[in-house]
Amino acid sequence: MTTIFDSTTTVKTELSKQKYIASDEIATIVYLSQKLGKPLLAEGPAGVGKTELAKAIASATGRELIRLQCYEGLDESKALYEWEYSKQLLYTQLLRDKLNDTLGKAESLAEAADKLAKEEDVFFSNRFLLQRPLLKAILSDKPTVLLIDEIDRADAEFEAFLLEILSDFQVSVPELGTLTAKHKPFVILTSNNTRELSEALKRRCLYLFIDYPNLQEELAVVRLKVPDLNPKLAQQAVEFVQKLRKADMRKSPSISETLDWANALVALNASNLDKDVLEDTLSVLLKHEADLQKAKRQLMAPPPQQQKPRNNNEDFGRFSGN
Amino acid sequence: MYLLGGETPPLRGMHIMESRILQLIAALRASGVRVSLAESAEAFSAVDLMGIQDREHFRLSLRATLIKDLKDIATFEKLFPLFFGSGQPPMMGGNPSDDMTPEEAQMLAEALRQFAENLRQRMERLMSGDQLSRAELEALGQLVGLNQADNLNYQNWMAQRMMRAMAFPEVQKAMKELIEQLAQMGMSRERIEQIRQMIQQNMQGMQGQMEQFAGERIAENLSEKPRGENIDNLMNRPFHALSDEDKKLLQREVKKLAAMLRTRIALRQKRAKNGQMDPKATIRASLKYHGVPMEIKHKDRVHKPKIVVICDVSTSMRFCSELMLSFLFALQGQVRKTHAFAFIDHLESISEDFSGANADEAIQSVLWRMPSGHYNTDLGWALNDFNNEYMDTLNSGTTLIIVGDGRNNYNDPRLDIFSHMARRATRTIWLNPEPPLMWNGDSDMAKYAPLCSNVLKVSNLRELAEAVDEMITG
Repeated sequence: MTTIFDSTTTVKTELSKQKYIASDEIATIVYLSQKLGKPLLAEGPAGVGKTELAKAIASATGRELIRLQCYEGLDESKALYEWEYSKQLLYTQLLRDKLNDTLGKAESLAEAADKLAKEEDVFFSNRFLLQRPLLKAILSDKPTVLLIDEIDRADAEFEAFLLEILSDFQVSVPELGTLTAKHKPFVILTSNNTRELSEALKRRCLYLFIDYPNLQEELAVVRLKVPDLNPKLAQQAVEFVQKLRKADMRKSPSISETLDWANALVALNASNLDKDVLEDTLSVLLKHEADLQKAKRQLMAPPPQQQKPRNNNEDFGRFSGN
Repeated sequence: MYLLGGETPPLRGMHIMESRILQLIAALRASGVRVSLAESAEAFSAVDLMGIQDREHFRLSLRATLIKDLKDIATFEKLFPLFFGSGQPPMMGGNPSDDMTPEEAQMLAEALRQFAENLRQRMERLMSGDQLSRAELEALGQLVGLNQADNLNYQNWMAQRMMRAMAFPEVQKAMKELIEQLAQMGMSRERIEQIRQMIQQNMQGMQGQMEQFAGERIAENLSEKPRGENIDNLMNRPFHALSDEDKKLLQREVKKLAAMLRTRIALRQKRAKNGQMDPKATIRASLKYHGVPMEIKHKDRVHKPKIVVICDVSTSMRFCSELMLSFLFALQGQVRKTHAFAFIDHLESISEDFSGANADEAIQSVLWRMPSGHYNTDLGWALNDFNNEYMDTLNSGTTLIIVGDGRNNYNDPRLDIFSHMARRATRTIWLNPEPPLMWNGDSDMAKYAPLCSNVLKVSNLRELAEAVDEMITG
């Protein structure tokens, strides 16, 4: 496995070259997962950049990104490989004459069958094997980054099947034998935490929880990705988004939505985050009607009177009760 | 893997570190985090790789390898500083008399003299601005029975007991008097304020030390606690005989059980799919290949059940319903549709609560919305509500599940509605914690029972798990 990240600092700088701002936590765990050769399980709310992380790692290491999007009902034939029946059939049809040649000379049925058996390999070869993402990652000549996206959407049986692959990076295709990975891919699994993953799968992974970023981090992301937005407005916008996340919303705005919003603000040439601008653009951030109404009621109203700071003058107040 | 004693670690102090890490793992396990042997070995290789010089890297190495669940992160963050220190020494205010003028020092000494010997010593100790020594902390811990504590919830309480053992409340009161005294003696306001702040700072520093010490000691006790409470016993113990502590333990067991059930049910449903050949679909597919049946089509025989569940959440049934709901929540993928209702004296639809991701939260929000109180359980009225609003949720393919003891407080049982419901649903299953022998008094169970396809006695977790298994597959 080619090592490009040789310290957590390199992880950080290389990722930031890909316009991905990695916190210390992310950098450390990515580094560890690469060093230990363990899959990385990234969990967190939707839209905090889990998939983006995989993409950034792929381009930072110069590897190909192979993505397996999970969904309910995903099975081996969609994830691993499939025989291309129609192509096999087509070949048989077109090669019929050739087959007749080969088999025609046979004297007995048994001999013909033997001859046909010798040619079997032609029909069950890599030529007719439709490679799906997992097999592609295993057979790839170059090291790859394998992204198994939203694993929580796949069924529990698929998870069990994945375990086998993640532990030894080999698959057995009955007709071909066991195929082993030439290069162990860097595996990243993401989950939106909609259901609990099995203990066995978690045990094989390193765990990284990516939460919504704090003010500074998010501001840095906005400044990096939407450089045209003026700094003062960016600050206001991010503060506003952070405030929205604290409010009890049906769906909190994600980073990607913050970025969309920032782009919208640039497009509208807004100079200040006033009531009109908010009215016009809030729907970029909030996708539920109920949330929109709530935000309008709560956040656009003049802020309530600041509460008086608690009186701290009482002598040794902290110890009065026991 | 030098966990098993192969390589010699390169660093001195690594041995202590190793045993510290093992203690942390033991404490994590004792607090209910599942850490496998493979994971702990992984933690050691990670620490090996990252070194222990950088505290933050060290913490993350351990966390990424040991903790695989969001809800366990909090436990880890709480335990980690208890084994590896908080990284900061306690903040002490210092000794006020350090920069006093001789007159002021004289004043202070005089003011102190009025207190009893015992109290004065403690006050002087507090004003010295020195941290508590290890020996002092040990002695205090001994005094308050810290060595027996193995529950982190008691950390603050233990720390408070230690403070009381140091006579903090009395000293605090005395300090107030001292300051008043000093004011009367004519010490300057600024100086008094400075003394007050220093004392307060010292007290807080000591309190911090005690909290840390209590936490460390409890965590150590926790890691030595013998593991493996007898879960089997708990699973067979009736719901009403469970303590709160047991319930917490069982909640975890429920998750495991649910995962097991889910796999079993999923497998069964999958196998069922590969059952019968579908000739029509196969012929249709063969047209592509000149009538050669290349693709064999199978009938989709998966009958994921639809479920309507009505739970009694009154005090007597609360825990059983809670577990039932968490089971159903965990099995959502294996069920086509779940409509859930809860009642005490009227019916409420709680399906909405279960659309989120977190079962515990969902259940808590329901139970919070419908607090148990002294009002009457009334299934009859709840059935009436159901009849008025939700009857359309019952149709063919629906399994109706009632969780309750059938004790109606002599209200009308509304058997008419119930029999109508039972006719509409494919199956009606009643889960009752009471055996038929106890169906007397205000229990209408004997009247309901003949209308159900099945009445199961569910008085402990084992029976509940078996019942759920049967319901989903049935």
